[in-house]
Order: sequence, then C-alpha cells, then structure tokens
Amino acid sequence: MSGFTNLNSSVGYSQNSTPNGGAAPPYQNGPVQTYPAMYPPAGYYGAPPQQQGYSTIPGHAAPAPNKAPVTNNAHSANYYHNNHQQQQNHLPQHHVAPSPYSAPLSSAPPSQPYAALPSAAPPPTNAHYNQQPFQPHPPYATPGSYYGQQSYHPSSARQHPSLVPVTASGPGAPLYPIVSYPSAPGSSQYGTLSSSQSTSAPVGMPTQMVGAPLHQYSAAPPPSTTAVQPGYGVGPPGQTAPTVVNGQGSAAQNAVHQHYTQSHQASLSYDSYSGVPPGSGGADTDQPPSGTPSTSVHSSPGHHQGVQYGYVANSGASSASATTSGPAAAAAAAAAAAAPSSSSSDDDDEEEDEDEEAGGDTSSSTTGSASPVPNSYDSLEGGSYPDSMPPSNDMTNQAAPYGSYGYPSMQSAYQQGPASHTDASPSHDLYGQSGYQQYSQPFPNLSQLSAALGGLSGVPELEVEALRPVNLLQERNLLPPRPLEAPEPNVSSDLKKVNCSPQTFRCTLTSIPQTQALLNKARLPLGLLLHPFRDLQQLPVITSNTIVRCRSCRTYINPFVTFLDQRRWKCNLCYRVNDVPDEFMYNPVTRSYGEPHKRPEVQNATVEFIASSDYMLRPPQPAVYLFVLDVSHNAVEAGYLKYFCESLLENLTKLPGDVRTRVGFLTFDSTIHFYNLQEGLSQPQMLVVSDIDDVFIPSHDSLMVNLKESKELVKDLLTSLPEMFSQTRETHSALGPALQAAYKLMSPTGGRITVFQTQLPTLGVGALQAREDPNQRSSAKGVQHLGPATDFYKKLALDCSGQQIGVDLFLLSSQYADLASLACMSKYSAGSVFYYPSFHYIHNPAQLEKFQKDLERYLTRKIGFEAVMRIRCTKGLSIHTFHGNFFVRSTDLLSLANVNPDSAFAVQMSVEDSLADSSLACFQAALLYTSSRGKRRIRVHTLCLPVVNQLSDVYAGADVQAITCLLANMAIDRSVSSSLSDARDALVNAVVDLVSAYKSNVSNLQQSGLVVPASMRLFPLYILALLKQKALRTGTSTRLDERVFAMCEFKTQPLQQLMRLVHPDLYRLDNMSDQGALHLNDTVVPQPHLLHLSAERLSRDGAFLMDCSNVFYLWIGKCCNEMFIRDVLGCPNYASIPPNMSHIPELETPLSERVRAFLDWLQDNRAFSCTIHVVKDDASAKATLFQHLVEDQSEVASSYRDFLQHIQQQISK
Amino acid sequence: MILLTMVARVADGLPLAASIQEDEQSGRDLQQYQSQAKQLCRKLNAQSPDRCTLETGDMNFHYLIAQGVCYLSLCEASFPKKMAFAYLEDLHNEFYDQYGRRVPTVTRPYSFIEFDTYIQKMKKSYVDSRARRNLGSINTELQDVQRIMVANIEEVLQRGEAISALDTKASNLSSLSKKYRSDAKYLNTRSTYAKVAAVAVFFITLIIYVRFWWL
Repeated sequence: MSGFTNLNSSVGYSQNSTPNGGAAPPYQNGPVQTYPAMYPPAGYYGAPPQQQGYSTIPGHAAPAPNKAPVTNNAHSANYYHNNHQQQQNHLPQHHVAPSPYSAPLSSAPPSQPYAALPSAAPPPTNAHYNQQPFQPHPPYATPGSYYGQQSYHPSSARQHPSLVPVTASGPGAPLYPIVSYPSAPGSSQYGTLSSSQSTSAPVGMPTQMVGAPLHQYSAAPPPSTTAVQPGYGVGPPGQTAPTVVNGQGSAAQNAVHQHYTQSHQASLSYDSYSGVPPGSGGADTDQPPSGTPSTSVHSSPGHHQGVQYGYVANSGASSASATTSGPAAAAAAAAAAAAPSSSSSDDDDEEEDEDEEAGGDTSSSTTGSASPVPNSYDSLEGGSYPDSMPPSNDMTNQAAPYGSYGYPSMQSAYQQGPASHTDASPSHDLYGQSGYQQYSQPFPNLSQLSAALGGLSGVPELEVEALRPVNLLQERNLLPPRPLEAPEPNVSSDLKKVNCSPQTFRCTLTSIPQTQALLNKARLPLGLLLHPFRDLQQLPVITSNTIVRCRSCRTYINPFVTFLDQRRWKCNLCYRVNDVPDEFMYNPVTRSYGEPHKRPEVQNATVEFIASSDYMLRPPQPAVYLFVLDVSHNAVEAGYLKYFCESLLENLTKLPGDVRTRVGFLTFDSTIHFYNLQEGLSQPQMLVVSDIDDVFIPSHDSLMVNLKESKELVKDLLTSLPEMFSQTRETHSALGPALQAAYKLMSPTGGRITVFQTQLPTLGVGALQAREDPNQRSSAKGVQHLGPATDFYKKLALDCSGQQIGVDLFLLSSQYADLASLACMSKYSAGSVFYYPSFHYIHNPAQLEKFQKDLERYLTRKIGFEAVMRIRCTKGLSIHTFHGNFFVRSTDLLSLANVNPDSAFAVQMSVEDSLADSSLACFQAALLYTSSRGKRRIRVHTLCLPVVNQLSDVYAGADVQAITCLLANMAIDRSVSSSLSDARDALVNAVVDLVSAYKSNVSNLQQSGLVVPASMRLFPLYILALLKQKALRTGTSTRLDERVFAMCEFKTQPLQQLMRLVHPDLYRLDNMSDQGALHLNDTVVPQPHLLHLSAERLSRDGAFLMDCSNVFYLWIGKCCNEMFIRDVLGCPNYASIPPNMSHIPELETPLSERVRAFLDWLQDNRAFSCTIHVVKDDASAKATLFQHLVEDQSEVASSYRDFLQHIQQQISK
Repeated sequence: MILLTMVARVADGLPLAASIQEDEQSGRDLQQYQSQAKQLCRKLNAQSPDRCTLETGDMNFHYLIAQGVCYLSLCEASFPKKMAFAYLEDLHNEFYDQYGRRVPTVTRPYSFIEFDTYIQKMKKSYVDSRARRNLGSINTELQDVQRIMVANIEEVLQRGEAISALDTKASNLSSLSKKYRSDAKYLNTRSTYAKVAAVAVFFITLIIYVRFWWL
C-alpha cells in the first residue's frame, strides 16, 4: 500500500509538469477511462468497507494503517483538485459569489487542511460523514455545501433520470417504459426505482437532500437550471435507441447519458455565463465543464471521495463504457451548446462512432477471426496511425493529465484546449463522473440515515422488495407470473452490465456475507453454480501473445480489476499490483494505444483466449470417438442398435472435429469384437477377442481410423452392424473387459468413449450382482445400494481421466442394471449419463423418440478435450466441496477429460477470513480445453458480487433457486454417504433453520406463522418439491436405477433445467391472451401466467401445459373447449384424441400457431429437444402428470399446507 | 523408429504442427523428450546449421531448417540417419507446398496441426521396413549426410544459458561500476566539503581573532 502513496504523490506531481506523461495515477483513470473509474471502488477506494464505515463511526477516527494510503491517495488527488479549484473558483466566483469559500481555499494551500486533519483524512470513505472532520473545520463544510449548490444543477438534473425526483419526473417517468427490455431485470429495476424513490438509501436520499439545495439552487443560478432541463428533456428520446442497441440493462446508461448532457450543458451554460475569456472558452467547450463540476465536487469534502468515488465513479464509468453514451452526449452538447467549437464535437461523434463499431465487432465475433488478431497489431497500428494517431493517441495522453492532474497548471490545460476536443470519451467520462460526484455530495447526511444501505450502489428498492416479510401461511399465491429470474447482484449498474450471465455463473447468495459468523447466522448455504461450457450466442475470442494474469494468484485479467494507472493493474482476487504488459496497451478493437481498460478482456466478463503453447503439455489432440456397443441378446431385443447406427450415419459429418478426427467401434457380448477400418480395405474386418481375462488389442493402428479417410468403411460398418447380430443368442455381457480394451485403444490419444449398455454386466472384471429387492422399493426404512458395488468402474474412470479419456454412458435397460456402480465410469471421467428405463423400440415409442433426440444432440454438440477447470475466488473465501462429474486433481483443479456444453458444476464455499477490507467479492472460473478443431482455448468467466455485513442484506440477495439446487446436491451426497432419511431431514431442517433464523434476527414483526423474506418465499415450496423428486422421495415405489439416475441428473444438470425438473412450470393454454406477449421476428409469443402445481388449478374445461424440462405434458380436460381441441390438436372432439399422442400438428389456425410459438419459445434455449405428451383426463398417463403436482398430497407425501404446518411445529418445538 | 515429429517456425520457435507416436509396448515416457524438443525449437535461429543431429541418451534428434521452418524428429539411435533426413526432406516438401505461404502470418500454436495426418502417413512408410527398401534408391543424393554435424543436445541447450549467464555477469559488472562511480563522486564531494569547511573554520577563527584580540 505504501507503494501507492508514493506513486500517487510522486507520479502525480511529476505529471503536472509533464502533462503528457504516460503514468496516470488512479484518479486519472477514473475520469479519463471507463474501466479504471469503476474499479477504484472495488479495489482500494471501496476496500474500506463502506457500510461498516457508516455504522462504526469511531472506528474510522483511528484508521487502520492499511487504509492510510487510501487517504493519501485521496489526499493527493484532492490536492490537485484543490489546485484546480483555486483556479476554477475564480471563474465561478463571479457569478455565484462563493466568497466565503473561495477565500479559505485559495488562500490556504490545499494540503493544509489535510495536514490539519490527519485523522480525518483516513476516513476518506465514510468517516467524514460522521461530522468529525467537518465540525472542526466549518469553512470546509461550507464550501462543501456551497459547492454542492453550485454543482447542483447538473447533479439535481441528473438525478432525474434515475430517481425521478421532483422536477424532472415528467420527462423522467416516460423514459423508462420506452426502454423496455425483454429481460425483466432491467425494466423491473426501473419500475422500482422510479416508484419507490422515497423508500431509502442513496438513491432515495437525494429527494430529501436535494430538496434543500435545490431550492437554493434554483434561486441562485436560474439560467443554468433552465438550460439544463431542456437539454435533459431532449436527451432521452434520442438515447433510448442506442441503449436498446446495447441490449442489456442500461439503466445506468440512460441515467448517465443525461448526466453527460446535463453536466455538459450545465457547464457550458455556466461558462458562457461566467464570461470565461473567449479565447479559452471557445476552445474549451469540453474542458471547462470537465473542470468545473469535478472541482466543485472534490473541493469541499475532499475526503468524501473514498466512498463517493466508489460508486460514483462506477456509474460514471459505466456510462463511459457504454460507448453509445458518448455520441449522445456529444451530440447533445453540440446541439445545445452551439458552441464555438462545434466542429470539435463533431469529431467526437465520429470517433465515438468508430468505437461503437469496433465494439460491435468484438461482441459479434464468435470465433477467432473477427476479434483482435494481435500479430496484425503492427500492421493495424501502422495503418491507423497516420489518420487516427493525432486525435486518438494524443487524446488519451493529454486528456489524462488535464482530466485530473493538469489542473494545477490550469493555463496549460487551457492551452491544450484547442486540442481538447480530441478526447471524446475521456472528457465525457469526466462529465459523467463529475455529475456523479456532485450527486454524491448530498450523501453525507443522507447516508447517515440509511447507513446500512449506503455502501450499495443504489437499488435498495429491490432489496426492500426482496426483504418484504412474507407469511407463508397467509399468502397463497407465491409464484410470480413468469418463471423466476435470477436476482441481480446489488452492485453498481456498470458492474452489473459487465457481470457474468446468471445462466453461466450463479451464486446462492448474491450478497456475500462478510464473515463466516454472519453466514452461519443466515443459515443459508454459500456456493456457486456453474455452467461453464454453455453454448453461447456471442463470445469474444482473444488472440494474444501474452495472456495477462496476476502474477501471484494467476487470475486472468477481467473487468473487475483496478487499473492504478496506465502501467499497472491490481488484481481483484488477491489485491496484488501487476504490470500491464506493453502488448496490452494496444487495443485492437479501437485500434488505439494506451487504453488497456478498453481491451475486450476488461470489457467482458466472459471471454475466450487462444492459449499459447505454454498451456499445452502436448500438441493438441485430435477429436477421437470410440463407440462401445452392447450387442448381446438383450440389446438386440431392445433394438437400439439400428437407431444408433442410423443416427450416427446421419450425423457423421456433423461430429465435431477436423480432418484429424478419428473414430473406432467396439462391440461386445461375452466376447469383444474390434473392427479394422483401415483405409484401403474393401470392407470392415471384424476381429474377435474371446480372452476376456487378459484383454489385448489385436491391431494397433487400424482400429481407430481417420474418419475422413475411412468414411466409406465406417458407413459400411454402420449399415451392416444391426444385421450382424440380429440372430445372436449370447446373453452375457462382458462390459468390464470391453471397457479395458477401450481404454487401451484410446490411451495414446485421449478422447471420448461412448458406452451403450442394456443389462447388468455379468462376465469378467466389473461383473455385478442384482442388488435391488423390488419388494423393498417403497419401504420407508431407507434405501440401500445407492453407492457402487465395486470400485472397478471408478478405478477405470480415474485411469481414463489420467489419459484424457471421457466415458459417457447410455443405459437402456428394462431390468435393474446397477446404475449406481456403472455411473462411476462417467462420474470420475467427466462424462455424462443417459438412462432410458424400459427402452424398447416397439413397445416404448416415447423412450425411443427421446433416445433419438438425445443422441442427435449428443453427437453434434460441442466438445472440449483434455480440459481442466479452476475456480478462483477473492482472498478470504475458500471452496471446499465440488459437485458434478470430474476428478479433483489437486485441491482446486478439476480435471475434465471431456467437457460438454450440457453439464454444470456446483461448489460450496466458506468464508475463511473476514472480507471486511473489500466491498466486492469476485469469482473466476477458467476452463482450459482443446476444441474439437485442435485449438487450445481458455474460457474465463468472472462474477462480481457485493460484500455485505448486514443479515438483512444477505437475505435480500438470496437466490432461492440456486440455494435449492445447491441443497439438492448436498442432500444427494448425504444420501449416498449417510442415508436417504438423513438427507431428507437435512432438507427439512434447512427450511426450519431459515425461518427461525429470520424470525430471531431480522424480522421484528411479532407475527405468528411462518415468516420468510420475500426473496425466499418459494423456498419451502421448492424443498417440498425436492423431497418429492425421484431422487429423494420415499414411500412411493421407485426403482433404484431411476433414483440413482435422478441423483446423477441433480449433480450435472444446469440450474434452469434442474429447477424445471424440481418444480415444473404449469401454464393454461386454452385462454392465452396477447397481454404481455412477446413479439419476436413477427411471431407473437403469448406469455401465459405460471400456475401453482396443484390439482385445484387444473380445471376440466381447460388445457394445461406442464413444462418438466425435458418433457412437456399437455393435459386436456374432459370438458375442454372443442375449438381448442380442433384447432390445436386437429381432432374433432375430446373423445377422438388418440391416447398416445406425442406431437402437436402444424395447423394453420391462429390458436395452433400461438400454441406452437409458445412451445418453440420454451424450447428455444434448451440443449436437448423436448418431447411432448398429450395427456387426456382419463388416461393412465394422468398419473405421470399428477406426480409433478407437488403441492398436492400424494399417498405418502404431505401437501404444501401440511408441510408448512410441519415446519411450524418444528420451529415452535 | 520415429517417435516424435515437430514442425516449428524458426523465427520465434512457435510450434506449427506435431505428431507423437505413443509407444505402448515400451511404455517410454516421451514427456521429457517433448520438452527438450520444445526448448530446442526455441533455441534454434537463423544462424543455426541447416541440418544437424543431436544426441540425447539413446535417442537422436535430427532437424532440418528450410525456408524459416524447422522440421525436427526424434528417432532411436539405431535409425539410419539417411532415412531420417530423407523423411524430414519429404515433410518439408509437402509442408511447404501446403502451408509455406501462411507460415509467417500465424500466431496460434499448432496452427497447422492438421498436417499431423500427413506426418503419420509418411512416418508409416519410412518405418515400415518393406517400404524402406523402395525408398533407399531415391536417397542417393543425400550422400552428404555423413557430413552433417553431430552435437550433443546438452551443449545446444546449454549454449544459450552460458550466454545469458555472461550477460547477467556483464550487467552486474556495469551496475557495480556505476555504483563505484557514484560512490567516488560522493567521496570527492565530501572531501571537497571538508576542505572548504576547514578553510572556513580557519578564516572564521581568524576573523574572530582579529575582531576580538587584534583590535
């Protein structure tokens, strides 16, 4: 930390003299650059815990040593600002008559106050809120408020967008509706924001605070305010377009744009008003504004910066990062100001536009080509420099100094004026920031009011809603109308914008508790749910000679790191300061130099790097696929072979891979058959090895063959294979030896083994006994044999994992096949398990269809080979348990022989050390894999979450779905290691604990009944649903294999899928209205409401759709509308609906189109396509549907009501 | 027996293609040789001899540099040198035909990993003793193979280290001399100060003496 101090003081100073100097102190980053600006809060400004600061006032008077530098930082920064003020003040003085204030400041050397206030300085974060510093120094305080006033026009105006306070509510309110995103969070946030501004905390505060200044304000400089308002009013409409383009919750952007415009205009008007000498004024349409607002901010309570800067800067940064904001602001500025330097602002426009395009490029680049190709840097650089260098390159360097440090030599800044228009983005940032800072000015008082929430970025309304106590015994309609979205972490809007998608990375608590004690108090599990290799629509791919990583913890550079200056960045996980390599200084996206914060790595939370050869132990392996097929009598009877061969033939060209792709086949019954497919043979040769005790490979290089070269032979084999064994009478299955052979075949290269098995293995190693007693299936005294019977499969899997071989198992058995043992082969080799109970190609068409669809997805989905994954988290947090299919090689390195886009992982974490010195916790998952085309790549996801110290905040950020999934994983571990009833008790206890913890700690309402925070209102329901799942239910007759398979699913399915399995979505289809319907490329997708899973919600005259993740049930009531049956199902009446209908005909009726549009929409993002079953009210299939109605009582399990009663009894005990 | 083949760009040692023959029977661990091969590729530069054989234990590395691309193979010591270089020559012809023009532009390691297929085919035809006989006839022009330099891998790999050691020593020396220089300066100034001080003291005493006792 001391390094900091030095740096700031020395570098900062030196910079004054050489404004062009590269080393920009942290500050400069703020104003000039988007990213850095947002970091300070995370890194060191924010490091002193904000909330804590609020609550423990005295603590800050004696600051911890490590915080001192922060002060210094602020201090040095202030120094400049002060200087700056001095000069600036002279300008403002005239009009606003700030006499009392300018006197002390300009006379007193800026450093003096600080020297006088050594104790006050440390609390840069918050302590000054505590008045201590203020009171002894009234002059200071006054200037503060004074300045506050001054700057209020910008600030008050700028609050309008987000806060919709008094004045601007008119224009502000309509703004939000316009910005309607498909993604709910954004809009909902808006809604809440605007509606509940009075509720509390930072955002709300301005209303109070602003109230006062506003009056003064409007009294004092009327011209400027008026100037501001119109500008503001004009701004929004224009800006909505860009924001929509940008796509995601650009709440901040909107707000920010307006800041821009406003502060801009404000200052512009201000300047002209103040009668700045035309010589400078002409040039400085950009500059003075930047100067003025920021000065005023810093000036008065210089020490505020800590906190203020924290989020203030954040949002400022966000705005800047949204490149769109730039042009808007610039345009607005140009239009409103009609300034002498209009030409310059035009320049801004152009530049910003370029930026935008470039940005578009990155985002759209799904594969390597479009994105930065570093070696072309040179050429690019060479090409672009002649045109763009003077503006772009100089701009940053120049802008930097005067943005923050050039002030002392104000003249010089002015001199730069003419060139200043160059810095479109930097200066805008500045505005944004300054706007924010002013905005933050009023906080001191307000933040005292809402101390707890102050540190957060200002969406407390969400929190308030999340914390609304819900009495479960009274509220009956708990389900939201639409499927639950992941809660948004309560971080500043720009962090939110770059944060990792919740589909990829989700944390059970979106507000991380500061200490383990707090976590224990909350009685909620802390963990992550990951879906790292998910199919992505867009993914920035970065080719770079050096991948920038932290030198001590090896974290990849990510959007949440802090740039201390141009040359150094601070790791957000271990807080080490690292150098920025030279290559990183060049930004291939904008083709500009010296903007490390704009590199795609720091603009995206999910990126993919092309790895250098340092990341390879051996040359990237080719895609190698081996199919191990059961051809015993049982298998022939089930008839899967024909469908497998058909499917593979169809997808042979779609198998992921390149010209090196290799395939091989191996079949087995009581012997093992190899197939020689060597190029040049006229037909495949079968080689039979009957010695299953000591398996050997009959031929070395002709069994795994190049797919491209031997394609004809492979096709031959696939067409003849089903016939070859049609007459077999061999009933035994030597799976173990076959797997050993497969392992030997594959071990030189690694790859994927796909095993098809239809019965219990009976011969050779790995033979298994039938362990299940069908009569015990429904017994309540616990389920036996959930663990493997032999460790052969586990050992084999570990060997495979060591040789980079993944084993996937397709079990198609009608009898007990001991999946608990067999599944081990996939569990430890990072494979996947598919199970088709009672598969038969004639008798069970539903399973057949599912098998075919799954197989198609399986064969064509992406695959990564020889992968490893490491999850890193902020110092203080530690990961202790992993869930999923993998092998844990070292403490935190997951070895994944294969990685597929459909498997997910979960980890449990604990808080080892207090997280008090940071306000943000970050998690990074890095997956290194070889793509099927032989490219070594690293996919990096980074998630950033706030750290809180209040129990209520922890509850407000609880993610009920993630918690449910993590608990399910834990329960499954428990049921294998201990017993099923233990696991079930633990789940019930989780609910009991939550309710009692909430009751005793947070809710002060003396309500009787079950009270939980609104964020967790679905928790008991989900837990009840979990208890009724196949994996965890008791009482009902559940076949052991099905139970074990359900457990495997829980371990590997991604969250969304899992939640639909646990708690299916139920919709009524026959009376869908267009209300709230989505319009996606000229199809209307109606959005019916979710219904509770209870039979009382089904009515005889309706048609209901139940979405169980991999299967849809369409339930048709007895008295269902004839028109629906006719239009959608194509049957004249209810009676004529065939009993096993499993598709929706494509009819031309509007109703049918809407139903199909809705179904398609539901399936849209699912990996495995779903089958649909039409269930009639009287059909026997009704039972399968009704078992999903988890709120109802079944023979053995209680209803939701009873469950709640039970919980209540447990609590009152 | 050709165990390992690697194609790399000479300029920066970037691997372009490779093929590894895992040897199940002997169970030999090629990991060590692989890393040696990688190091070797980095060490080689435009000044390195075009053809060279490097001995490492009971194996030999043979390499061939042509058109800025290095072809390296690891063979058993018993494998005829002539064959090895003929093999490398063949690889070069094919590789240059297919990818030669793109070599300077690529940045990703193993960009031409697809060449692996060809390497394997070639390898097979060279290793197969029956095919070998046929090849023998074409290799007459490679008679000068005898003159190819033979060196030990250790020497080659160490050479760079020695140079870098020298470099560090030199830089140490220069920094020390700088220090010496500044120290000397400091001493000089100190002695000057001392002299000046002595003179000053003398004069002050003189003045005082003159002021109080003389007058």
